[in-house]
Amino acid sequence: MQVQERPWQILVGVGIVLLLLPLAFHMKAARFAPFLELSTWRFLFLGLLLTLEASVIAILGSIPLALFFALARHSGPFWLRYPVIVLVEGIRALPLLGLMFYLFLRLSALGRALGLAAVTRPDAAVIVALWLYTGAVNGEALRAAILSLPRGQWEAARSLGLTYGQAMRLVILPQAFRRALPPLVAQFATLVKDTSLGAIIGFIELYRRGVIIFQGERNPMETLYVVSVIYFFINYALGRLVDILERRLGFRRG
Amino acid sequence: MSTADVWHYLLLGLWTTLRLSLASMGVALALGTLIGVLRVSPVPPLRWFAAGYVEFFRDIPLLPVLVFVYSGLPKAGIRLPTSFDSAVAGLGVYTAAFVAEVVRAGLQSVHKGQIEAALSLGMSFFQMIRLVVLPQAFRMMIPPLGTVFIALVKNTSIASAIAVEELLYQAEFVIGRTFADWPMLIAFLLYLVITVPLSGLVNFLERRLRILF
Repeated sequence: MQVQERPWQILVGVGIVLLLLPLAFHMKAARFAPFLELSTWRFLFLGLLLTLEASVIAILGSIPLALFFALARHSGPFWLRYPVIVLVEGIRALPLLGLMFYLFLRLSALGRALGLAAVTRPDAAVIVALWLYTGAVNGEALRAAILSLPRGQWEAARSLGLTYGQAMRLVILPQAFRRALPPLVAQFATLVKDTSLGAIIGFIELYRRGVIIFQGERNPMETLYVVSVIYFFINYALGRLVDILERRLGFRRG
Repeated sequence: MSTADVWHYLLLGLWTTLRLSLASMGVALALGTLIGVLRVSPVPPLRWFAAGYVEFFRDIPLLPVLVFVYSGLPKAGIRLPTSFDSAVAGLGVYTAAFVAEVVRAGLQSVHKGQIEAALSLGMSFFQMIRLVVLPQAFRMMIPPLGTVFIALVKNTSIASAIAVEELLYQAEFVIGRTFADWPMLIAFLLYLVITVPLSGLVNFLERRLRILF
């Protein structure tokens, strides 16, 4: 019963889903009229740029944070290891939306106290929440990658006289990063989706711009349909990139 | 609003979060098992549809799905009395895609000989799946289904966007009344009370299964 659908077959399936949705929900062709105008697409595209911008900042910023979490948990002193474990597990076990909301409260208070307008904006809370959350998730991915390396790598490095730091930096981490690359890209796809939660606290990204359109045009289903298809294509492409990376780096499962 | 009131609202929210999680998981299990089975069915278009369903819902955010269901179901002729029911439908449909992947992996973990034996005894495809494969696959599926459920519990917080009075909604409400932000920390603690033991249980079951197989 080994079934692995080919990409075109999956896309045909997605096509069926995308055909069934308008039929089941009685969508009207006339309500798609706003999407015949270039200005609507320009409006959405600016939101998409903001979505991607927040995701890129969060993923790049998460790498040093993830490295810190992974190293502290893997081989840090006990007074660092246990707080990091609590922090990482706690962040991963909380709803991201709650984290965003709380950070928005704290950061806007902090921004007002410091007189920094930028910190009071929802954008700051969204990016910090995504950064923390992604750092925790990637930290675990990196730690798993470090642990998955054969013991011989450590033993060889140490017996050649490398110190712990040298062995980590020159032998272990370069290999671990290679292994953690596919989950990192997969995490980026998750980030693109999670950025939409920022809309709830006022971050005007792709989804929120969709809401602005449908509140004016009174066509929530049709607009959400188009917005979802945009998310789908981005994340579908990222998913194929993950596949390619896993094949290229030679540790594809199954 | 006194401290007792804050706790009252938060615990009400926690109760709704639990009900929402369990009801949505019920929908997700039923629909997800169906789609997971279609994923390995002998009819190619059904397989493609199931694969497309999984791929589509895994690649889009939950928030538009919830709002779509909330505003769209009445127009499809389905009238759900409360936003809670819309949230169950939306979370169920979305989570079904993740359940389906777990079901597919579980079904494919069953040895080929079992399937051949069942078919050669004259069972139909669905008899074979129901009587031979699913009971064996189920054990393999429990830990990953636990992981899906934990993600679902966290995702129920997004239902606050369609005015479901769950834990995060109540926390925001209380904060709006008291202008204090500690209630959010209590809400976090309540979320951890659900998710941390669950993930401990999932880890435990994973270790147990690794020994068994």
